[in-house]
Amino acid sequence: MPGPTAILFVLLGTTIVLLVVMLAHASLTATPAGKILAFLAFCVLPILCGFWGLYEHLERSKQTSFCLSCHIMEPYGQSLYVNDPAYIPAAHFQNHRIPADEACYTCHTDYAMYGTIRVKLHGLRHIYVQYFGTPMNPIHLYDPYNNRECLHCHAGARSFENDTHMALLDQIKANQLSCISSGCHDTIHNAASIDKVKMWRPQE
Amino acid sequence: MNASEREFSMSFRFSGLLLIIGLCIEAITLNWIHPIAFIAFFVIGGLFLGAGVLLFLYSVLFHSPPPSSGNLPGN
Repeated sequence: MPGPTAILFVLLGTTIVLLVVMLAHASLTATPAGKILAFLAFCVLPILCGFWGLYEHLERSKQTSFCLSCHIMEPYGQSLYVNDPAYIPAAHFQNHRIPADEACYTCHTDYAMYGTIRVKLHGLRHIYVQYFGTPMNPIHLYDPYNNRECLHCHAGARSFENDTHMALLDQIKANQLSCISSGCHDTIHNAASIDKVKMWRPQE
Repeated sequence: MNASEREFSMSFRFSGLLLIIGLCIEAITLNWIHPIAFIAFFVIGGLFLGAGVLLFLYSVLFHSPPPSSGNLPGN
């Protein structure tokens, strides 16, 4: 069964053909049926294609390959393959705790109301800085990493319910104690030293 | 063909051209997974599609379409 992208391409092709036919035979618009056809070809279908295309692009922007398509992100992509379970992103990626094809998005989205919109706006800011500004070196998050993104999956999980987490749960929830920068799980991407660590090679 | 019909014909053709370009940009950008593809789609493609649809609606609302028995030039 064809996927939504294939159907969108068929719709795009159909709309273009319909527009060419209407332009080549504009007299078709003289009849009531032709007027309806023109309204479909010039208004309804292009709007449908536009919004569907926007949805497709937004969905693609969640893909790991989309994030790693910028050169500056390459070491962060490589850090997913570090052969060391202490590396939090690598441990999550390699053990499929997060979807491999949406690895960056899963941990770096904003699990709050309007969070998706906020991260898309951040994405536009990344593009602006990449092409019209000076990217940070090394790059870092605009805001401190929010524990909410970890708790979105880990809260309530059996592996999370140990004595240490339970004793500190209020502080973790209130972001008074950071999961990743308070000395507990503090080995993250370490992109600057990525060429000094051993890599995991997945077996096909 | 009076001036209004001539103007309708012109804007009808121009809106069709804008829409075809916009849809082609959309098709091209959908083949490329990169932030630039998204920007190209959203800014350039969106501009062409939006302008095409608005011009079509403008021509339908504010200019007389050709009479049922008549043909537009070029047919």
